[in-house]
Amino acid sequence: MIQITLQKELTAASGIMLLDINIHIQQGTLTTLYGNSGVGKTSILRMIAGLLQPDEGQIIVNQKTWLDTKKGICLTPQQRKIGFVFQDYALFPNMTVKENLLYALEKGQDKEIISQLMHIIELKDLQHQKPNKLSGGQKQRVALARALVRKPEILMLDEPLSALDIKMRAKLQDYILKAHQQFGLTTLLISHDIAEVIKMSDIVLNIENGKIIQQGKPIDVFTTKQVSGKFQFSGEIVEIKKEDIIYIVTVLIGSNFVKVVAEETEVQTMKIGDKIIVASKAFNPLLQKIK
Amino acid sequence: MNVLKGKITAIKTNDSISIVTIQVASIFFNTILIETPDTAPYLQKGNSIKIIFKETEVIIGKGTTHLTSIQNQISGEIINIEKGMLLSKLIIDTTVGKITAIITSDATDQLQLKIGEKITSMIKTTEIMLSQ
Repeated sequence: MIQITLQKELTAASGIMLLDINIHIQQGTLTTLYGNSGVGKTSILRMIAGLLQPDEGQIIVNQKTWLDTKKGICLTPQQRKIGFVFQDYALFPNMTVKENLLYALEKGQDKEIISQLMHIIELKDLQHQKPNKLSGGQKQRVALARALVRKPEILMLDEPLSALDIKMRAKLQDYILKAHQQFGLTTLLISHDIAEVIKMSDIVLNIENGKIIQQGKPIDVFTTKQVSGKFQFSGEIVEIKKEDIIYIVTVLIGSNFVKVVAEETEVQTMKIGDKIIVASKAFNPLLQKIK
Repeated sequence: MNVLKGKITAIKTNDSISIVTIQVASIFFNTILIETPDTAPYLQKGNSIKIIFKETEVIIGKGTTHLTSIQNQISGEIINIEKGMLLSKLIIDTTVGKITAIITSDATDQLQLKIGEKITSMIKTTEIMLSQ
């Protein structure tokens, strides 16, 4: 169990914002902080990592106190067992993939973890390459592996996939999930992509203006009107086209496009870029085996 | 999307599937769901609920009596027809409110549907969704 209470006055674009949150996280879960830019998501991760000091707060990770402002306890980032992956990789350019990973080892730590990680995240073929020879997705895989070298108690991912194209994103999401499961990690992810949140997280915290306004399973948080349809996906509208007396709405779901017929009164409430739920009953879709 | 407000009057469950009866005005609608009162807390007799079905899933029958396997039948009067090249949109006035149906224009022609005509709109149990 990880208990986090944090309070801090932050300077946001709109003026002073009071960040005030209270989170309980079960071990082994993947929790996503969801919200617009500037609501305090990154500040929360930085405070958990020890890179930013809260005005008041307490962080207890598996019965160990990392931070307690009342008792004057504040472990340094090095003392907190965390792994951090940023959007911009932050790899050492002069080292090979393997050297980047080796550099992250603690003194006296068994090197076995490196080959284990290279196996899970499929880096064996890239191990002697330098970062400038790698694609964005490959670099992010190395950054992920490096964050896991010290077997962190909390893995933190700050929009790690937002610089990647959609195909690469889906692949990286799978690597993150694989590592999360195989190492039994407790993971905190920042994302503002609903499809990603739904795919990745056990729990989502919807953050607005420094406060958690909603939390729960992603499908419950993002489906305001719960529809009974069992065939449900969330996606983004990419095209709305009138044809004959109906409209055809094209929706991007993950990396797939689907087309849905809609009626004028429905289309009036929608515009391109809107996040929507596509729902149908479990009785309607056909299943056909791929030859 | 046709949305009607009603009340749950009966729930018949077997394993994980339920057939739920919802009363909207004087009409009873049936829907089949992969849910039970255990998995979906809103499935309780007396609860208010919305039923949802797509315009393209409404079947139109001329006249008022039809012997079919379709469980949900509401008689009404066509109050508007918007005819396109391939498809037609019908607005039907019924005791549960206005229902929109989208059918092929060929069907509109073959049935010689006109404004003011008495018809029956039918929706299969597998086409009705519930929403709180």
